[in-house]
Amino acid sequence: MMHLSLPEFADYLRQLGQGALITLELFLASFALAFLFGVLVGILTLSPNRLVQGLWRVYASIFMGVPSLLVIFLIFYGGSAMLAAVFGAAGAGIDISPFGAGVAALTIVYTAYIAELVRGAIGNLPKGQFEGARALAIPPLVMWLKVILPQALRLALPGLVNVWSFMLKETPLVSLAGLQDLVASAKVAAGATKEPFVFFIATALFFIVFSAITLKLADRLEIRLERGLRRTPQRRDAGVRA
Amino acid sequence: MTAVPDPGIAVSVTGLVKRYGDHAALCGVDLEVRRGEKIVICGPSGSGKSTFIRCLNALERHDAGRIVVNGIELTGDEGTVQDVRQEVGMVFQHFNLFPHLTALENCMLAPRLNRGLGKAQAQALAMKHLERVHLADHAGKYPSRLSGGQQQRVAIARALCMEPRILLFDEPTSALDPEMVKEVLAVMEELAASGVTMLCVTHEMGFARRVADRCVFMDRGAIVESGEAARFFDAPASERLRGFLAQILH
Repeated sequence: MMHLSLPEFADYLRQLGQGALITLELFLASFALAFLFGVLVGILTLSPNRLVQGLWRVYASIFMGVPSLLVIFLIFYGGSAMLAAVFGAAGAGIDISPFGAGVAALTIVYTAYIAELVRGAIGNLPKGQFEGARALAIPPLVMWLKVILPQALRLALPGLVNVWSFMLKETPLVSLAGLQDLVASAKVAAGATKEPFVFFIATALFFIVFSAITLKLADRLEIRLERGLRRTPQRRDAGVRA
Repeated sequence: MTAVPDPGIAVSVTGLVKRYGDHAALCGVDLEVRRGEKIVICGPSGSGKSTFIRCLNALERHDAGRIVVNGIELTGDEGTVQDVRQEVGMVFQHFNLFPHLTALENCMLAPRLNRGLGKAQAQALAMKHLERVHLADHAGKYPSRLSGGQQQRVAIARALCMEPRILLFDEPTSALDPEMVKEVLAVMEELAASGVTMLCVTHEMGFARRVADRCVFMDRGAIVESGEAARFFDAPASERLRGFLAQILH
């Protein structure tokens, strides 16, 4: 049984709650930014320009190849020096928090993955969708927002859901740069109380419940994005099964 | 040049050249289309007929020559391209409807943006043109719920919602099952009677005979022969057109 008094236990739970909040903030901020930049970069990489292609290939191979933890450390420990190099004395004065370093690192890494998904999805749309919009004199920005991206996101959705789940599981890495997130709080509580199972299992449950809820939402989003499409099996699939 | 454009001329093309790498898809095409004229363009595959009408609304950029549409010369300038596209409606072989929007929404998108219409006005306009293609009952359906012929008629309504003065058709019935060709051609014939200028790439020779003021035969990137429909079919002057007609009429 636990050797904890109820008030002590409640206090640790409260810390866990605060950690969970930080984890969620870190995750949602990073995902939102990675999504925004991922879509933009994905569109940009469709340009046949060789400089754009070259930059994209270098960027993607670095950040899909290097462990995220290394990127977090590079930004947390090396970020101030980098800012100083770019912005001079003004940059040197900026202190990088573990949270800021975490958001920056996760955004940079996952922008690459999301851009790759979006780029593939747009590439799979029929060329006629672009031509239909152009022939109607629909301006480029509206074409992307109303015609192309809604269709591309439907195609990219399964991949985006994977990125979502995977990114959530990577957020505890930022605790190694000193962020008091959920996993760090659980570790403190477990160490202090000698009750590892209670706190680590509670933490695991948090991740499981959050994932389950958001995956349900993703299903709803999928139904919404698939409006207009027949929900019967494609002829091609039927052919494969036959 | 500051030549005053002749208001009776809808489309004027001179010396049009389009290259893909080393291959010249169009090598010097001249064509003048009067306002209200119906032109049918035919020719073997690879003859440049699709490329030609796609140049008229700048879906393909031409490499040399002059294209003047409704008095606006198509240059590299994006502004003139948008101006031309406002006046020219296009119907594609594969419809190119937006699958995530209903028939009504497909028709409303461009007028709301380009003509500054409010939602109610755009909807009324879209319904008017869906009615014109006999699809008012299907306005709320997504394209995947419609037959090929119905989809193509929605695409025609979508083009009409811009109230264009010129309509381009790029093989509008080639992707349709035979039983649906008729309903699309019937709508196109009704349109022709309305006085709009039409340029239509098609192999539907019955349609050409009934509707076309002039038929144009293209081969290897050039216009080989053109003329009034009856003479075009019954007394082709060139060997190449005779050969082509023999092939498509079996």
